[in-house]
Amino acid sequence: MPKQNYLCIQRSQTGECEEPGQKADKPSPAQMEQMYAKFNAWREQFKDNIVNLGGRLAAGKVLTAQGATDGPFVEAKEVVGGYMILCAESLQEAAEVARQCPGVVRPGSSLEVREIQIS
Amino acid sequence: MTAPGAQPGSNFRHAGLVEHFFRHEYGKLVAVLCCRVGVQYVETVEDAAQSALMAALESWTQGGLPDNPSAWLFRVAHNNLVGELRQRAGRRRILERGIARDPASEASGVPEGVLAGEVEDDLLRMLFVCCDDAIPEESQLVLALKTLCGFSVQEIALRLFSSEAHVYKRLARARKRLRESPPQLAELGADQYGGRLPRVHQVLYLLFTEGYLSAHAELCIRRELCDEALRLTSTLTQHAVGKTPETYALMALMHLHLPRMTARQDGTGGLLLLEEQDRRRWDPQALQTGLSWLARSAQGQVFSRYHAEAGIAAEHALAPSFQETRWERVVECYTLLEQLAPSALHRLNRAVALAEWQGPRAGLRLLEGFEPPAWLAGSYLWAAVLADLHRRSGQRELAEQHREAALQLAPTPAIKRLLQRRLDGLKRQA
Repeated sequence: MPKQNYLCIQRSQTGECEEPGQKADKPSPAQMEQMYAKFNAWREQFKDNIVNLGGRLAAGKVLTAQGATDGPFVEAKEVVGGYMILCAESLQEAAEVARQCPGVVRPGSSLEVREIQIS
Repeated sequence: MTAPGAQPGSNFRHAGLVEHFFRHEYGKLVAVLCCRVGVQYVETVEDAAQSALMAALESWTQGGLPDNPSAWLFRVAHNNLVGELRQRAGRRRILERGIARDPASEASGVPEGVLAGEVEDDLLRMLFVCCDDAIPEESQLVLALKTLCGFSVQEIALRLFSSEAHVYKRLARARKRLRESPPQLAELGADQYGGRLPRVHQVLYLLFTEGYLSAHAELCIRRELCDEALRLTSTLTQHAVGKTPETYALMALMHLHLPRMTARQDGTGGLLLLEEQDRRRWDPQALQTGLSWLARSAQGQVFSRYHAEAGIAAEHALAPSFQETRWERVVECYTLLEQLAPSALHRLNRAVALAEWQGPRAGLRLLEGFEPPAWLAGSYLWAAVLADLHRRSGQRELAEQHREAALQLAPTPAIKRLLQRRLDGLKRQA
Protein backbone atom coordinates (compact mmCIF):
# COMPACT_ATOMS: atom_id res chain seq x y z
CA MET A 1 0.00 0.00 0.00
CA PRO A 2 1.45 3.36 -0.94
CA LYS A 3 2.37 5.63 1.88
CA GLN A 4 0.50 8.82 2.50
CA ASN A 5 1.56 11.94 4.29
CA TYR A 6 -0.29 13.07 7.36
CA LEU A 7 -0.30 16.45 9.04
CA CYS A 8 -0.38 16.43 12.82
CA ILE A 9 -1.69 19.52 14.52
CA GLN A 10 -1.18 19.94 18.23
CA ARG A 11 -3.69 22.06 20.08
CA SER A 12 -3.94 23.20 23.60
CA GLN A 13 -7.33 22.03 24.81
CA THR A 14 -7.86 24.28 27.72
CA GLY A 15 -6.13 27.37 26.43
CA GLU A 16 -4.13 27.38 29.58
CA CYS A 17 -0.76 28.67 28.66
CA GLU A 18 1.94 28.28 31.23
CA GLU A 19 0.82 30.45 34.05
CA PRO A 20 3.44 32.48 35.78
CA GLY A 21 4.24 31.25 39.27
CA GLN A 22 3.79 27.61 38.40
CA LYS A 23 7.45 26.97 38.86
CA ALA A 24 6.86 23.67 40.58
CA ASP A 25 5.63 22.21 37.31
CA LYS A 26 8.79 22.96 35.40
CA PRO A 27 10.58 19.74 34.67
CA SER A 28 13.78 19.15 36.60
CA PRO A 29 17.08 18.57 34.78
CA ALA A 30 16.78 14.84 35.43
CA GLN A 31 13.26 14.80 33.99
CA MET A 32 14.43 16.76 30.97
CA GLU A 33 17.15 14.21 30.40
CA GLN A 34 14.53 11.48 30.44
CA MET A 35 12.36 13.40 27.99
CA TYR A 36 15.32 13.83 25.71
CA ALA A 37 16.10 10.12 25.85
CA LYS A 38 12.46 9.18 25.28
CA PHE A 39 12.06 11.51 22.37
CA ASN A 40 15.19 10.18 20.72
CA ALA A 41 14.07 6.63 21.27
CA TRP A 42 10.74 7.46 19.65
CA ARG A 43 12.42 9.18 16.72
CA GLU A 44 14.76 6.25 16.24
CA GLN A 45 11.90 3.74 16.34
CA PHE A 46 9.75 5.62 13.85
CA LYS A 47 12.41 7.29 11.71
CA ASP A 48 10.83 5.91 8.53
CA ASN A 49 7.51 7.53 9.43
CA ILE A 50 8.79 10.99 10.25
CA VAL A 51 8.83 13.27 7.22
CA ASN A 52 9.21 16.54 9.08
CA LEU A 53 9.50 16.88 12.82
CA GLY A 54 7.84 20.25 12.45
CA GLY A 55 7.98 22.49 15.42
CA ARG A 56 6.31 25.01 17.59
CA LEU A 57 4.19 27.70 15.97
CA ALA A 58 4.70 31.29 17.08
CA ALA A 59 2.44 34.32 16.60
CA GLY A 60 1.31 35.05 13.05
CA LYS A 61 -1.15 36.93 10.93
CA VAL A 62 -4.60 36.01 9.75
CA LEU A 63 -5.37 37.07 6.19
CA THR A 64 -8.96 37.69 5.10
CA ALA A 65 -10.55 39.44 2.18
CA GLN A 66 -10.75 42.48 4.40
CA GLY A 67 -7.03 42.52 5.06
CA ALA A 68 -4.62 41.12 7.61
CA THR A 69 -4.88 41.00 11.38
CA ASP A 70 -2.41 39.85 13.94
CA GLY A 71 -3.37 36.40 14.93
CA PRO A 72 -4.15 33.69 15.43
CA PHE A 73 -7.51 34.88 16.69
CA VAL A 74 -9.16 31.53 17.06
CA GLU A 75 -10.77 30.56 20.30
CA ALA A 76 -8.23 30.43 23.07
CA LYS A 77 -9.01 26.80 23.80
CA GLU A 78 -8.03 25.81 20.30
CA VAL A 79 -4.69 27.52 19.99
CA VAL A 80 -2.50 25.57 17.62
CA GLY A 81 0.81 24.96 19.32
CA GLY A 82 2.79 22.85 16.91
CA TYR A 83 2.79 20.69 13.82
CA MET A 84 4.59 17.68 12.37
CA ILE A 85 4.36 15.68 9.17
CA LEU A 86 4.34 11.88 9.22
CA CYS A 87 4.04 9.30 6.51
CA ALA A 88 2.21 6.05 7.04
CA GLU A 89 0.18 3.44 5.25
CA SER A 90 -3.01 4.34 7.00
CA LEU A 91 -4.54 6.95 9.22
CA GLN A 92 -4.48 4.38 12.01
CA GLU A 93 -0.76 3.87 11.66
CA ALA A 94 -0.09 7.61 11.55
CA ALA A 95 -2.23 8.12 14.63
CA GLU A 96 -0.35 5.37 16.45
CA VAL A 97 3.05 6.85 15.60
CA ALA A 98 1.89 10.26 16.79
CA ARG A 99 0.32 8.85 19.91
CA GLN A 100 3.59 7.26 20.93
CA CYS A 101 5.52 10.50 20.53
CA PRO A 102 6.42 11.39 24.11
CA GLY A 103 4.61 14.36 25.49
CA VAL A 104 2.59 15.26 22.43
CA VAL A 105 -0.71 14.01 23.72
CA ARG A 106 -0.92 14.93 27.36
CA PRO A 107 -3.47 16.41 29.70
CA GLY A 108 -4.46 19.80 28.32
CA SER A 109 -3.50 19.15 24.73
CA SER A 110 -4.94 17.30 21.78
CA LEU A 111 -3.55 16.14 18.49
CA GLU A 112 -5.36 16.15 15.17
CA VAL A 113 -4.04 13.82 12.47
CA ARG A 114 -5.16 14.58 8.89
CA GLU A 115 -4.25 12.95 5.63
CA ILE A 116 -2.69 15.35 3.15
CA GLN A 117 -4.39 14.66 -0.18
CA ILE A 118 -2.36 15.61 -3.20
CA SER A 119 -4.45 14.18 -6.04
CA MET B 1 7.14 18.81 17.48
CA THR B 2 6.85 20.91 20.62
CA ALA B 3 8.72 20.14 23.80
CA PRO B 4 7.74 16.73 25.08
CA GLY B 5 6.06 16.69 28.45
CA ALA B 6 7.37 15.26 31.67
CA GLN B 7 7.13 11.51 31.60
CA PRO B 8 9.64 10.07 34.01
CA GLY B 9 10.25 6.37 34.20
CA SER B 10 12.36 5.63 31.18
CA ASN B 11 15.80 4.27 31.78
CA PHE B 12 16.82 4.66 28.20
CA ARG B 13 20.09 6.52 27.81
CA HIS B 14 20.70 8.29 24.60
CA ALA B 15 24.11 7.72 23.15
CA GLY B 16 26.12 10.90 22.85
CA LEU B 17 25.38 12.32 26.28
CA VAL B 18 26.83 10.98 29.48
CA GLU B 19 24.51 10.01 32.28
CA HIS B 20 23.25 12.90 34.40
CA PHE B 21 24.40 15.30 31.68
CA PHE B 22 21.45 17.65 32.19
CA ARG B 23 21.73 17.65 35.95
CA HIS B 24 25.46 18.19 36.03
CA GLU B 25 25.36 20.83 33.32
CA TYR B 26 22.72 22.62 35.34
CA GLY B 27 25.04 22.64 38.36
CA LYS B 28 27.91 23.95 36.27
CA LEU B 29 25.80 26.69 34.69
CA VAL B 30 24.51 27.87 38.05
CA ALA B 31 28.00 27.89 39.54
CA VAL B 32 29.70 29.66 36.64
CA LEU B 33 27.00 32.29 36.22
CA CYS B 34 26.61 32.93 39.95
CA CYS B 35 30.32 33.54 40.18
CA ARG B 36 30.02 36.13 37.40
CA VAL B 37 27.03 38.15 38.50
CA GLY B 38 26.98 37.43 42.22
CA VAL B 39 25.12 34.88 44.28
CA GLN B 40 22.40 37.35 45.22
CA TYR B 41 21.02 36.61 41.75
CA VAL B 42 20.97 32.87 42.34
CA GLU B 43 17.27 32.52 41.55
CA THR B 44 17.54 34.46 38.29
CA VAL B 45 20.57 32.38 37.39
CA GLU B 46 18.66 29.17 38.11
CA ASP B 47 15.81 30.31 35.88
CA ALA B 48 18.25 31.13 33.10
CA ALA B 49 19.87 27.69 33.39
CA GLN B 50 16.49 25.97 33.43
CA SER B 51 15.35 27.82 30.30
CA ALA B 52 18.58 26.92 28.54
CA LEU B 53 18.00 23.24 29.22
CA MET B 54 14.43 23.56 27.96
CA ALA B 55 15.71 25.22 24.80
CA ALA B 56 18.22 22.41 24.37
CA LEU B 57 15.49 19.86 24.72
CA GLU B 58 13.60 21.42 21.85
CA SER B 59 16.49 22.29 19.66
CA TRP B 60 18.51 19.09 20.09
CA THR B 61 15.58 16.76 19.56
CA GLN B 62 14.99 18.50 16.25
CA GLY B 63 18.41 19.21 14.90
CA GLY B 64 20.58 16.74 16.75
CA LEU B 65 23.35 17.42 19.22
CA PRO B 66 25.56 20.46 18.65
CA ASP B 67 29.31 19.94 18.46
CA ASN B 68 29.86 21.16 21.96
CA PRO B 69 26.67 20.74 24.01
CA SER B 70 28.18 22.36 27.12
CA ALA B 71 29.21 25.47 25.23
CA TRP B 72 25.82 25.61 23.53
CA LEU B 73 24.06 25.52 26.91
CA PHE B 74 26.38 28.10 28.36
CA ARG B 75 25.76 30.52 25.51
CA VAL B 76 21.99 30.21 25.77
CA ALA B 77 21.90 30.41 29.57
CA HIS B 78 24.25 33.34 29.52
CA ASN B 79 22.11 35.20 26.99
CA ASN B 80 18.98 34.45 29.00
CA LEU B 81 20.60 35.83 32.10
CA VAL B 82 22.02 38.96 30.51
CA GLY B 83 18.67 39.67 28.87
CA GLU B 84 16.80 39.31 32.14
CA LEU B 85 19.26 41.39 34.16
CA ARG B 86 19.33 44.16 31.52
CA GLN B 87 15.58 44.35 31.54
CA ARG B 88 15.53 44.60 35.30
CA ALA B 89 18.31 47.17 35.46
CA GLY B 90 16.43 49.20 32.86
CA ARG B 91 13.26 49.11 34.88
CA ARG B 92 15.12 50.07 38.00
CA ARG B 93 16.84 53.01 36.30
CA ILE B 94 13.51 54.29 35.10
CA LEU B 95 12.08 53.99 38.59
CA GLU B 96 15.01 55.43 40.45
CA ARG B 97 16.42 57.70 37.78
CA GLY B 98 19.64 56.75 39.38
CA ILE B 99 22.85 55.15 38.31
CA ALA B 100 22.06 51.65 39.45
CA ARG B 101 24.83 49.17 39.07
CA ASP B 102 24.22 46.99 36.07
CA PRO B 103 24.98 43.35 36.83
CA ALA B 104 24.45 42.48 33.18
CA SER B 105 27.53 44.46 32.21
CA GLU B 106 29.57 42.12 34.39
CA ALA B 107 28.05 39.03 32.89
CA SER B 108 28.36 40.25 29.33
CA GLY B 109 32.14 40.30 29.48
CA VAL B 110 32.36 36.53 29.62
CA PRO B 111 34.01 34.88 26.65
CA GLU B 112 31.93 32.23 24.92
CA GLY B 113 34.02 29.20 25.58
CA VAL B 114 34.50 28.47 29.24
CA LEU B 115 37.66 26.79 30.32
CA ALA B 116 37.17 23.44 31.96
CA GLY B 117 39.38 24.39 34.89
CA GLU B 118 37.43 27.56 35.41
CA VAL B 119 34.18 25.63 35.67
CA GLU B 120 35.67 23.42 38.35
CA ASP B 121 36.83 26.50 40.23
CA ASP B 122 33.37 27.98 40.10
CA LEU B 123 31.76 24.73 41.25
CA LEU B 124 34.07 24.73 44.20
CA ARG B 125 33.41 28.38 44.97
CA MET B 126 29.70 27.70 44.90
CA LEU B 127 30.21 24.80 47.29
CA PHE B 128 31.83 27.23 49.74
CA VAL B 129 28.93 29.64 49.21
CA CYS B 130 26.51 26.90 50.22
CA CYS B 131 28.50 26.40 53.40
CA ASP B 132 28.05 29.95 54.61
CA ASP B 133 28.02 29.97 58.43
CA ALA B 134 24.95 32.16 58.44
CA ILE B 135 22.92 29.59 56.52
CA PRO B 136 21.36 26.97 58.80
CA GLU B 137 23.00 23.58 58.45
CA GLU B 138 20.02 21.78 56.95
CA SER B 139 19.59 24.60 54.45
CA GLN B 140 23.20 24.24 53.33
CA LEU B 141 22.62 20.67 52.25
CA VAL B 142 19.43 21.54 50.40
CA LEU B 143 21.09 24.48 48.67
CA ALA B 144 23.98 22.28 47.54
CA LEU B 145 21.60 19.64 46.22
CA LYS B 146 19.60 22.26 44.35
CA THR B 147 22.32 24.43 42.86
CA LEU B 148 25.26 22.05 42.49
CA CYS B 149 23.61 18.70 41.88
CA GLY B 150 20.65 20.03 39.89
CA PHE B 151 17.94 18.24 41.88
CA SER B 152 14.48 19.80 41.92
CA VAL B 153 12.68 20.51 45.19
CA GLN B 154 10.57 17.42 44.58
CA GLU B 155 13.61 15.24 43.98
CA ILE B 156 15.35 16.58 47.07
CA ALA B 157 12.28 15.86 49.19
CA LEU B 158 12.29 12.30 47.88
CA ARG B 159 15.95 11.83 48.68
CA LEU B 160 15.90 13.40 52.13
CA PHE B 161 12.55 11.84 53.14
CA SER B 162 11.17 15.27 53.70
CA SER B 163 8.12 17.09 52.42
CA GLU B 164 8.38 19.42 49.45
CA ALA B 165 7.10 22.28 51.58
CA HIS B 166 9.83 21.64 54.11
CA VAL B 167 12.55 21.52 51.48
CA TYR B 168 11.22 24.70 49.95
CA LYS B 169 11.31 26.42 53.33
CA ARG B 170 14.92 25.43 53.88
CA LEU B 171 15.83 26.61 50.43
CA ALA B 172 14.06 29.91 50.92
CA ARG B 173 16.06 30.55 54.09
CA ALA B 174 19.33 29.96 52.26
CA ARG B 175 18.34 32.19 49.35
CA LYS B 176 17.19 34.96 51.64
CA ARG B 177 20.59 34.97 53.26
CA LEU B 178 22.36 35.04 49.89
CA ARG B 179 20.18 37.91 48.69
CA GLU B 180 20.60 39.99 51.80
CA SER B 181 24.31 39.66 52.35
CA PRO B 182 25.87 37.99 49.34
CA PRO B 183 29.39 36.76 49.93
CA GLN B 184 31.89 38.59 47.74
CA LEU B 185 33.41 35.58 46.08
CA ALA B 186 36.04 37.35 44.11
CA GLU B 187 37.48 38.87 47.26
CA LEU B 188 37.83 35.61 49.14
CA GLY B 189 41.39 34.36 49.21
CA ALA B 190 42.48 30.75 49.59
CA ASP B 191 43.17 31.21 53.30
CA GLN B 192 39.71 32.58 53.89
CA TYR B 193 38.24 29.55 52.20
CA GLY B 194 40.12 27.48 54.74
CA GLY B 195 37.86 28.69 57.52
CA ARG B 196 34.82 27.24 55.79
CA LEU B 197 36.46 23.95 54.91
CA PRO B 198 35.17 22.05 57.96
CA ARG B 199 31.60 22.96 57.03
CA VAL B 200 32.21 21.94 53.44
CA HIS B 201 33.45 18.57 54.69
CA GLN B 202 30.41 18.28 56.87
CA VAL B 203 27.99 18.93 54.02
CA LEU B 204 29.76 16.42 51.78
CA TYR B 205 29.76 13.87 54.58
CA LEU B 206 26.08 14.48 55.23
CA LEU B 207 25.31 14.13 51.54
CA PHE B 208 27.10 10.79 51.49
CA THR B 209 25.58 9.38 54.64
CA GLU B 210 22.08 10.43 53.59
CA GLY B 211 22.63 8.15 50.65
CA TYR B 212 24.51 5.38 52.35
CA LEU B 213 22.66 4.92 55.59
CA SER B 214 19.16 5.82 54.59
CA ALA B 215 16.53 3.15 54.95
CA HIS B 216 15.04 3.95 51.59
CA ALA B 217 14.16 0.86 49.65
CA GLU B 218 15.31 2.15 46.30
CA LEU B 219 18.99 1.55 45.92
CA CYS B 220 19.49 3.71 42.87
CA ILE B 221 18.06 6.78 44.56
CA ARG B 222 20.36 6.40 47.53
CA ARG B 223 23.29 5.61 45.31
CA GLU B 224 22.82 8.90 43.49
CA LEU B 225 23.44 10.95 46.62
CA CYS B 226 26.62 8.98 47.30
CA ASP B 227 27.83 9.53 43.75
CA GLU B 228 27.16 13.27 43.99
CA ALA B 229 29.06 13.46 47.28
CA LEU B 230 31.98 11.64 45.70
CA ARG B 231 31.93 13.87 42.63
CA LEU B 232 32.04 17.08 44.69
CA THR B 233 34.66 15.74 47.07
CA SER B 234 36.88 14.83 44.10
CA THR B 235 36.56 18.41 42.89
CA LEU B 236 37.67 19.55 46.31
CA THR B 237 40.79 17.38 46.24
CA GLN B 238 41.88 19.01 42.99
CA HIS B 239 42.28 22.44 44.53
CA ALA B 240 44.86 23.87 46.86
CA VAL B 241 42.28 24.82 49.46
CA GLY B 242 40.91 21.29 49.65
CA LYS B 243 44.18 19.38 49.68
CA THR B 244 44.04 18.47 53.36
CA PRO B 245 44.26 15.17 55.24
CA GLU B 246 40.59 15.51 56.21
CA THR B 247 39.50 15.76 52.58
CA TYR B 248 41.60 12.69 51.77
CA ALA B 249 40.07 10.81 54.71
CA LEU B 250 36.62 11.74 53.42
CA MET B 251 37.55 10.39 49.98
CA ALA B 252 38.82 7.19 51.61
CA LEU B 253 35.66 6.83 53.65
CA MET B 254 33.44 7.15 50.60
CA HIS B 255 35.48 4.82 48.43
CA LEU B 256 35.67 2.18 51.14
CA HIS B 257 31.94 2.20 51.72
CA LEU B 258 30.71 2.29 48.14
CA PRO B 259 31.93 -1.14 47.04
CA ARG B 260 29.88 -2.65 49.83
CA MET B 261 26.76 -0.83 48.81
CA THR B 262 25.59 -3.26 46.15
CA ALA B 263 26.67 -6.23 48.24
CA ARG B 264 24.38 -5.00 51.02
CA GLN B 265 21.39 -6.11 49.03
CA ASP B 266 20.36 -9.55 47.92
CA GLY B 267 18.92 -10.32 44.51
CA THR B 268 15.45 -9.15 45.48
CA GLY B 269 16.44 -5.85 47.06
CA GLY B 270 16.40 -7.16 50.63
CA LEU B 271 19.15 -6.02 52.97
CA LEU B 272 21.99 -8.32 53.93
CA LEU B 273 23.93 -8.44 57.17
CA LEU B 274 27.61 -7.72 57.02
CA GLU B 275 28.36 -11.34 57.89
CA GLU B 276 26.07 -12.60 55.11
CA GLN B 277 27.56 -10.45 52.39
CA ASP B 278 29.51 -12.05 49.62
CA ARG B 279 32.84 -10.35 50.01
CA ARG B 280 33.83 -11.34 46.48
CA ARG B 281 31.21 -8.88 45.30
CA TRP B 282 33.06 -5.98 46.93
CA ASP B 283 34.70 -4.09 44.13
CA PRO B 284 38.46 -4.56 44.58
CA GLN B 285 39.27 -1.55 42.41
CA ALA B 286 37.28 0.80 44.63
CA LEU B 287 38.86 -0.73 47.72
CA GLN B 288 42.30 -0.08 46.30
CA THR B 289 41.39 3.52 45.53
CA GLY B 290 39.95 3.93 49.02
CA LEU B 291 43.07 2.53 50.64
CA SER B 292 45.35 4.80 48.66
CA TRP B 293 43.31 7.82 49.78
CA LEU B 294 43.53 6.51 53.33
CA ALA B 295 47.30 6.36 53.01
CA ARG B 296 47.37 9.94 51.75
CA SER B 297 45.19 11.05 54.63
CA ALA B 298 47.69 9.76 57.18
CA GLN B 299 49.70 12.94 57.48
CA GLY B 300 49.71 16.14 59.48
CA GLN B 301 48.59 16.67 63.05
CA VAL B 302 44.88 16.20 62.75
CA PHE B 303 43.05 12.95 63.30
CA SER B 304 39.49 13.74 62.31
CA ARG B 305 36.26 11.81 62.63
CA TYR B 306 36.61 11.08 58.94
CA HIS B 307 39.91 9.34 59.64
CA ALA B 308 38.27 7.24 62.33
CA GLU B 309 35.35 6.28 60.10
CA ALA B 310 37.57 5.55 57.12
CA GLY B 311 39.67 3.39 59.44
CA ILE B 312 36.64 1.36 60.47
CA ALA B 313 35.52 0.98 56.86
CA ALA B 314 39.05 -0.13 55.92
CA GLU B 315 39.12 -2.81 58.62
CA HIS B 316 35.86 -4.26 57.34
CA ALA B 317 36.99 -3.99 53.75
CA LEU B 318 40.29 -5.72 54.43
CA ALA B 319 38.94 -8.55 56.56
CA PRO B 320 38.82 -11.78 54.55
CA SER B 321 35.69 -12.79 56.48
CA PHE B 322 33.42 -11.54 59.25
CA GLN B 323 35.10 -13.84 61.76
CA GLU B 324 38.58 -12.75 60.78
CA THR B 325 37.88 -9.04 61.24
CA ARG B 326 40.42 -7.34 63.47
CA TRP B 327 37.78 -6.33 65.99
CA GLU B 328 40.29 -4.81 68.38
CA ARG B 329 41.18 -2.23 65.73
CA VAL B 330 37.53 -1.57 64.97
CA VAL B 331 36.91 -0.97 68.69
CA GLU B 332 39.91 1.34 68.83
CA CYS B 333 38.59 3.39 65.92
CA TYR B 334 35.14 3.63 67.47
CA THR B 335 36.68 4.79 70.73
CA LEU B 336 38.51 7.54 68.87
CA LEU B 337 35.39 8.40 66.92
CA GLU B 338 33.39 8.69 70.11
CA GLN B 339 35.95 11.10 71.51
CA LEU B 340 35.99 13.21 68.35
CA ALA B 341 32.27 13.18 67.75
CA PRO B 342 30.42 12.10 70.87
CA SER B 343 27.28 10.26 69.87
CA ALA B 344 25.25 7.51 71.45
CA LEU B 345 25.22 5.73 68.12
CA HIS B 346 29.01 5.50 68.14
CA ARG B 347 28.84 4.05 71.64
CA LEU B 348 26.36 1.45 70.43
CA ASN B 349 28.57 0.54 67.48
CA ARG B 350 31.55 0.22 69.78
CA ALA B 351 29.57 -2.16 71.98
CA VAL B 352 28.79 -4.33 68.97
CA ALA B 353 32.44 -4.46 67.93
CA LEU B 354 33.54 -5.08 71.51
CA ALA B 355 31.10 -7.99 71.75
CA GLU B 356 32.71 -9.56 68.69
CA TRP B 357 36.16 -9.06 70.20
CA GLN B 358 35.69 -9.86 73.89
CA GLY B 359 32.28 -11.49 74.04
CA PRO B 360 28.70 -10.29 74.52
CA ARG B 361 29.09 -9.50 78.20
CA ALA B 362 31.84 -6.98 77.45
CA GLY B 363 29.50 -5.32 74.96
CA LEU B 364 26.67 -5.21 77.47
CA ARG B 365 28.94 -3.76 80.15
CA LEU B 366 29.73 -0.84 77.87
CA LEU B 367 26.03 -0.07 77.58
CA GLU B 368 25.24 -0.64 81.23
CA GLY B 369 23.93 2.43 82.98
CA PHE B 370 24.11 4.28 79.67
CA GLU B 371 20.97 6.27 79.06
CA PRO B 372 20.44 6.49 75.29
CA PRO B 373 18.86 9.69 73.96
CA ALA B 374 15.21 9.40 72.96
CA TRP B 375 15.93 9.14 69.22
CA LEU B 376 18.14 6.13 69.75
CA ALA B 377 16.08 4.50 72.50
CA GLY B 378 13.10 4.66 70.15
CA SER B 379 15.04 3.18 67.25
CA TYR B 380 15.13 -0.47 66.26
CA LEU B 381 18.95 -0.34 66.41
CA TRP B 382 19.14 -0.01 70.16
CA ALA B 383 16.58 -2.74 70.81
CA ALA B 384 18.09 -5.06 68.21
CA VAL B 385 21.61 -4.82 69.63
CA LEU B 386 20.34 -5.43 73.18
CA ALA B 387 18.30 -8.40 72.00
CA ASP B 388 21.33 -9.88 70.31
CA LEU B 389 23.76 -9.31 73.17
CA HIS B 390 21.35 -10.57 75.85
CA ARG B 391 20.58 -13.67 73.89
CA ARG B 392 24.24 -14.41 73.38
CA SER B 393 24.95 -14.04 77.06
CA GLY B 394 22.11 -16.42 77.91
CA GLN B 395 19.49 -13.98 79.16
CA ARG B 396 16.56 -15.28 77.16
CA GLU B 397 13.79 -13.30 78.71
CA LEU B 398 15.47 -9.93 78.25
CA ALA B 399 16.45 -10.96 74.73
CA GLU B 400 12.86 -11.79 73.83
CA GLN B 401 11.64 -8.49 75.24
CA HIS B 402 14.05 -6.47 73.14
CA ARG B 403 13.43 -8.61 70.08
CA GLU B 404 9.73 -7.76 70.18
CA ALA B 405 10.54 -4.07 70.54
CA ALA B 406 13.03 -4.12 67.66
CA LEU B 407 10.58 -5.78 65.27
CA GLN B 408 7.90 -3.31 66.18
CA LEU B 409 10.20 -0.35 65.54
CA ALA B 410 11.54 -1.52 62.18
CA PRO B 411 10.98 1.40 59.79
CA THR B 412 10.78 -0.57 56.53
CA PRO B 413 9.73 -4.09 55.54
CA ALA B 414 13.29 -4.77 54.33
CA ILE B 415 14.73 -3.94 57.74
CA LYS B 416 12.03 -5.94 59.48
CA ARG B 417 12.86 -9.01 57.41
CA LEU B 418 16.53 -8.51 58.17
CA LEU B 419 15.86 -8.33 61.90
CA GLN B 420 13.62 -11.36 61.79
CA ARG B 421 16.23 -13.38 60.01
CA ARG B 422 18.94 -12.33 62.41
CA LEU B 423 17.04 -12.43 65.69
CA ASP B 424 14.81 -15.42 64.93
CA GLY B 425 17.80 -17.37 63.80
CA LEU B 426 19.44 -16.56 67.07
CA LYS B 427 16.34 -17.57 68.95
CA ARG B 428 16.44 -21.01 67.40
CA GLN B 429 20.07 -21.43 68.32
CA ALA B 430 19.40 -20.43 71.91
